[in-house]
Amino acid sequence: MTVLVADGNTRRARALSDDLRADPSLHVLSVPAGMALIDAVRQHQPDVVLVDMGRADRDALDSIRALSQPALERPVALFVDRDDVQLMETAFDIGICSYNVLDAPPDDVKPLLRAAIALYSRFQRTRGELTEAQRKLAEQKLVDQAKRLFMKNENATEDQAYRWFRRRAMQSARRIAAVAADYLSAHDRNDAP
Amino acid sequence: MTHALRIGLLRLTDSAPVIIARNHGLFAQHGIAAEIVVSPSWSNIADGLAWRTLDAAVIFPPLAMMTALGRRGHAASLRPLCTLSRGGNTLVLRGTNPLATPWPTGPAGHQAFAQWQRGLGRRPRLAVVHMYSTHLLILRRFLRMIGVDMDSGIELVVMPPADMISALADRAIDGGCVGPSWGTEACLRGLGFLVGGSSTIVPGHLEKLLVVSDAAAGQADRLKAALGEAVSYCRAPANRHAIAQGLALPPEEGGLALPARATFATLDEKTTPEPVTFVAEEVTEADFDWITQDMFDLGWIDESEREAGPKR
Repeated sequence: MTVLVADGNTRRARALSDDLRADPSLHVLSVPAGMALIDAVRQHQPDVVLVDMGRADRDALDSIRALSQPALERPVALFVDRDDVQLMETAFDIGICSYNVLDAPPDDVKPLLRAAIALYSRFQRTRGELTEAQRKLAEQKLVDQAKRLFMKNENATEDQAYRWFRRRAMQSARRIAAVAADYLSAHDRNDAP
Repeated sequence: MTHALRIGLLRLTDSAPVIIARNHGLFAQHGIAAEIVVSPSWSNIADGLAWRTLDAAVIFPPLAMMTALGRRGHAASLRPLCTLSRGGNTLVLRGTNPLATPWPTGPAGHQAFAQWQRGLGRRPRLAVVHMYSTHLLILRRFLRMIGVDMDSGIELVVMPPADMISALADRAIDGGCVGPSWGTEACLRGLGFLVGGSSTIVPGHLEKLLVVSDAAAGQADRLKAALGEAVSYCRAPANRHAIAQGLALPPEEGGLALPARATFATLDEKTTPEPVTFVAEEVTEADFDWITQDMFDLGWIDESEREAGPKR
């Protein structure tokens, strides 16, 4: 079975292709960068297309069956599993969908979609973790900057500065980073060491 | 519903009422927590409604009907809440207009098409934004009015509205029917010329409506009230500049990254023959008559579905 992976995120496309290639019965192809999805489908004539829903050119594929002229030799249809609504909702929610090329509709699309969902979840989690790490770093930078300014303004030690911000944060039930940002705004940021 | 009301839309001028309702706090004033989902494709809107990742959407009537009928594989329980806009679609062709005016119907229009096509040297590739769009129906009617068969006289391609600018510049397409403000932007950049549009093909036609799923039914009245106020704001000529500037902002700053000059032009009937008219009204059967007739003629719906119209 030929599977075409259409994902603008090259890292994710490679990871998904690698996952799928573990199954020797699958012939896995990717849409080259810059190539329209419909052109790739026309060229490779896959049985199944796994599509990143962030691709705006999905509309061209989606509507192919409505064309009165034969834009493709084999019609294409969105894969829908009516018995497994949750699978479908999860797939759309996480940003992946699947199309069947209908000459000989394959029976085993669900495992492919499940594999894609698992990989997309992993990427989403990793991206979430990365965002969280970046947020923490940015907050730490803000707190350090505010502490240095406080130490300079109040002739205080680093420990005293930290305790001052922590106390303020506890009193106002806010994060230390928010208190630090307010402190920097209230004083001239340019004065910050 | 425990989560915010998720409203899907695309980067188009006629999405303005929903953007204004959020940015001006109108949803909040009516007790609605709304999350706007700027979607990259119409398929995402249809799938979002069908598979409950969206609770409402700004959409054109043919796709709303086809989604509700389950023509994309899974029926969605939808109902039209209210109209949002009328008109605003443009028919833009690449190159030089042999007539220097919008094209007339009949033989004169056919002659203009033939002359323009000779300049291209190929069967024209014309784009629409989705197969189940008012744009396709308008393009089909336009071609019929100038005696060109859509199946044999052109090559039809589907392309997201924002992509049409670069596609025209790269000569990947020779024109198309597109919503605001992308057609006007193409003309302002000198990439194409206007041959017609909503006002010349189906004057005053319903273009965008807001549909809601069952999950949003409990908030329908408040949603309608907020959108009614937003549409009133959008209709006031004094607000056009602010609307265009707001829509030109990137999505993370509350806009839709639309081209500001073209967007401003599409809001003003004095600067474009194809202005967007914002209207918040009940959707009527009359709004659907020409749409369902054309959908029936194209074989998309059967007689009973045509008769049911928006009640579907």
